[in-house]
Amino acid sequence: MQNEGTSKPQKQKTSKAERRAIQEAQRAAKAAAKEAGGVKPSASSGGAVPALKQGKVAKPSSQRKDGPQVTAPVTSSEKKVVDRLPEKDRKKDVPHPRMQFDDKHRVEKAKRRAVVNQSEARSRVELFRHLPQYIRGTQLPDLESKFFQLDPIHPSVYKVGLQYLSGDISGGNARCIAMLLAFKEAIKDYSTPPEKALVRDLTAKIGSYVSFFIECRPLSISMGNAIKFLKSRIAKLPHTLSESEAKSSLQSDIDRFINEKIVIADKVIVRHAVTKIRDGDVLLTYGSSSVVEMIFLYALELGKHFRVVVVDSRPKLDGQALLCRLVAKGLNCTYTHINAISYIMHEVTRVFLGASSVLSNGTVYSRVGTACVAMAAHAFQVPVLVCCEAYKFHERVQLDSICSNELGDPDVISKVPGWKDLNHLDNWADNENLQLLNLTYDATPSDYVSMIITDYGMLPPTSVPVLVREYRREHLWI
Amino acid sequence: MPDVQALVNDFVLKLKRRKIEGSHASARHTAELLRSVISQQRMPHTNQAGALIDAVKAVGEQLIAANPVELAVGNIVRRVLHIIREEDLSSTATAIEGLGLSAGSDDDDEGQHVDHPALSAAALAAAARSTLRAPSLQTLLEDIPRSAVTPQPPSSGGDSEGKSKSDKNLRSRKLKHDVIEAINELIQDIDTCHEQVSEQAVEHIHQNEVILTFGRSRTVKEFLCAAKEKNRSFRVFVAEGAPRYQGHVLAKELVGKGIQTTVITDSAVFAMISRVNMVIVGAHAIMANGGVIAPVGINMVALAAQRHAVPFVVVAGSHKLCPLYPHNPEVLLNDLKSPSDLLDFGEFSDCMDFGSHGGSPLLHVVNPAFDYVPPKLVSLFITDTGGHNPSYVYRLIADYYSADDLVVKRRSTS
Repeated sequence: MQNEGTSKPQKQKTSKAERRAIQEAQRAAKAAAKEAGGVKPSASSGGAVPALKQGKVAKPSSQRKDGPQVTAPVTSSEKKVVDRLPEKDRKKDVPHPRMQFDDKHRVEKAKRRAVVNQSEARSRVELFRHLPQYIRGTQLPDLESKFFQLDPIHPSVYKVGLQYLSGDISGGNARCIAMLLAFKEAIKDYSTPPEKALVRDLTAKIGSYVSFFIECRPLSISMGNAIKFLKSRIAKLPHTLSESEAKSSLQSDIDRFINEKIVIADKVIVRHAVTKIRDGDVLLTYGSSSVVEMIFLYALELGKHFRVVVVDSRPKLDGQALLCRLVAKGLNCTYTHINAISYIMHEVTRVFLGASSVLSNGTVYSRVGTACVAMAAHAFQVPVLVCCEAYKFHERVQLDSICSNELGDPDVISKVPGWKDLNHLDNWADNENLQLLNLTYDATPSDYVSMIITDYGMLPPTSVPVLVREYRREHLWI
Repeated sequence: MPDVQALVNDFVLKLKRRKIEGSHASARHTAELLRSVISQQRMPHTNQAGALIDAVKAVGEQLIAANPVELAVGNIVRRVLHIIREEDLSSTATAIEGLGLSAGSDDDDEGQHVDHPALSAAALAAAARSTLRAPSLQTLLEDIPRSAVTPQPPSSGGDSEGKSKSDKNLRSRKLKHDVIEAINELIQDIDTCHEQVSEQAVEHIHQNEVILTFGRSRTVKEFLCAAKEKNRSFRVFVAEGAPRYQGHVLAKELVGKGIQTTVITDSAVFAMISRVNMVIVGAHAIMANGGVIAPVGINMVALAAQRHAVPFVVVAGSHKLCPLYPHNPEVLLNDLKSPSDLLDFGEFSDCMDFGSHGGSPLLHVVNPAFDYVPPKLVSLFITDTGGHNPSYVYRLIADYYSADDLVVKRRSTS
C-alpha cells in the first residue's frame, strides 16, 4: 500500500485553486503547441485534462501527449514512477460493458487503463466490431506476474478473477455467488482511510474490483444486477453507523441477497417446476444449468418416472458434466449433440432450459444454441419451460444475438479435443480471409417460450417487464 | 457372367461395409457396374428388352439391399431400367417403320401388304401402352408377358421370315448398343453435374451477399467458386457440421480460392442467420415429394431460415433425385453412427454397458447421420437441369424413371 499512501496525501496537497492554475497552464501550452503545428497523436479526449490524470501508465506512453505538455505538477512526476493509476481514475474510465468497441478513441483509452494486458484479436469478424474482441488465453501468466503490484486488489477478488479468466467458474449463479463472497471478504478486511467518507471510498473500491472482473471476463447480467444491489446498499448506509457496524450490515446484506435471491429462489423454482413433470415424461435439456439439474434430482427424489435427454454442443461441451452427475444418481439418460435435435424431438414431451437472463421484451438470453433448441421444440409442438431466478431479469431489450454478446476464444473452434488429425484450420490466423467466430450467448425470441418459471411464480414471457419495472421498485432488492 | 458376378459381389460388399462414401461415387460405380452387366448379358431372340430388364433388376435388388440408405444406387438402377425401356420403345418404333418400308418395297408380297399397316399400327400402339404406361391392376395380376407385345411379323413366306430374323438380330445388337451408349451418357452426366449446377451460380449470387452453408458439399463448393470467378462479392459463414467437422475442410478450400469465410459452431446458426441473405446447402437425396435427405443438422438450419424468411436453396445433381416417397424418413432412411464421436468411452463405459442393468443401460447415445427436411422449408432446388420448385420434382421424376420400376424386384418367370 506504499504507493497509494504516498500519492494520496500529495493529491490532497494541491488545493482546488492550485489545480485550476495547473489546468490553465496546460490549456495554454496545448494551444501553443497546436499553433506551432505539432501534430500529436492525441488519442484521448481533448479539453481540460485534470492534473491527476496526467502521466499515465508507462506502457503505451508514446501515444500520450507528454511532449509539449507541462510537467509542472508535482503529482504527475510522482505518478510516472507508478505503473498504474490510482483506482479512482481507473474506475471512472473503465469500459462500460456495453461500450462501443468500434469507437477507436474509447478503445485506446480503455486499453491504457487496463490492468490485464489484452492482446488485440488477430482477425475480427466485421459484424462484431462493436464487441470486445480480446483473446484471453494469454493473460493468465501476465496477471500472475503482476500480483505483487496489484496491491489495491484484495486477494480473494484476485482469486475469483483468475477463476473467471481460466473458465473454472462458469454459469450465472456460480459467478454471481463467487463475486459476492469475494466482496464480502474484501469488505471484512476493509478499513476506511483517514479523512475519507466510508460510503464514497467503499463504492470506489468496489468499482475498481468490478473493472478488474470485467477485464478478466465481461460481466454476466446476474453479476451486474448484484453489483447494482450492493452499491445501492452502500449508498443507503445511515451516516450514524460506525465503521464496524456498517461493514457487518453490508456483509449481512450480501448474505441475505445470496440466500433469498439465489438459494431460496432456486428451491421455489424447483417446487413449481416438478408439478409440471408427470410419470412417463421425456424431458430435454440443453447444456448444463444448475436449476434444471436441481429440478431433475428433486423429481427423482419424489419418485417420478421419467427420462432425460441431454443435448450438448461445441465448443464448451458442458452437457457432459451434467450427464455424469445425472447418470451417477441413476437417471435414465440419452445424450446427443445439437445437430440431432430434429431426430430426438419426436420423443420429447417437455423441454427445460436455463437462462443467463430474461430481458424486458421477453427474449431469453442464454447459452448459444438455446435458440435452436427452442425453435425445434416449437416446430414439434413441445412446450418449452425456461427456469430463471427473478434477480437475473433486466430492463434492457434486445432483438437478436448480434447487438450484444460475448466473444469467446476462437482457437477453441479449430481444435477439437480427441481429434488429433483434424488440423485443417491450423494457422488460421495467418490467413486474412479466414475468421473463426465463437459466440457465447444467443437471444431466443419470446414466442418460442411457453412459460418462465421464477421464484415469483410461473409466468408467460410477456409478464417479465411487469416484474422488472414494478416489483423491483417496490421491493428494491430487499 | 461369373466375371460380372464377382464384380457385383465386390460392390455389394463395399456398400454393406460403407466403404463407398458419397452419392457421386456410389452412382458412378453403380452405372459402370450395370454397364458391364448389360454388355455381358446374352440376348435371347425374343424380348431382348425383357431379358435386359430382368438381369438389371436381379443385380439392382442386391445392390439396393446392401445399403438401403444410399439412395443414389437405387436411383441409377431405376435410371438404367428406364433407359432400357425407352431404347426398346424407340427401336420398336423404328423397326415397325422399317417393316412397313420393307413390305412396301417388296412387290412380291402384295397379300401381306394389306395386313402390315394394320399390324404396325396396332403393334405400335400396344408397344407404347405396355412400355410406358403405369401398371394397371390387370397387368399386375395377369403378368402379361412382354413378348406378346413386340410386333411379330406374320410367319407366312420364307422371305419375310428370313428378313424378320435378320431384322431381329439387328435389333437386338442395336438395342444393347443403344442402351450402353445411353448409360455412357448417364455416367458423363453424373460426372459433369457439378459444372452444370455451377453455371447457374451467377444468377443467384450478386454483390455484397452473405451466404450460410452447413458442413461440406462438393456441389456447394463448386457453386461458390464459380460465383467467385465471375467476380461476385460475397462472404460465407460455414457451420462446422459436427460430428464430422467437414465444415473445416470446406472453409479451408474456400479460403484457398480467396473467398471471405467465417467458421461458426452449429449452435450459433440461429444467432447468425438474421444477418444472412441466403442459405445454400447440398443434399444426400431428393425425394419424390420435394423433401430432402441431408446431413444431420440441416433441418435445424432450414427451420431457422424459415423463421427469418431467408431463402433455403438446395443444390444437387440429378442422380440424387429419388422416385420414392419418404415414409418415416427419420427412422427408415437414417444411419446411426458410433457414439464414440460424441462421448469418450472411458468415462461412460459402465453406464453404456448392455450387460448390466438387465439389458437396458442407463445411458443411450444417439448419433444419427441424416436429417429429413420437409418440402415446405425448401425454397429452390438447383439441379443440372435448372432451378425448380419442390412441387415440381414429381414431374422431373417422370422424365427419368418409369413407374414400373419403383419396386426393384425381379419378376418370377413363369
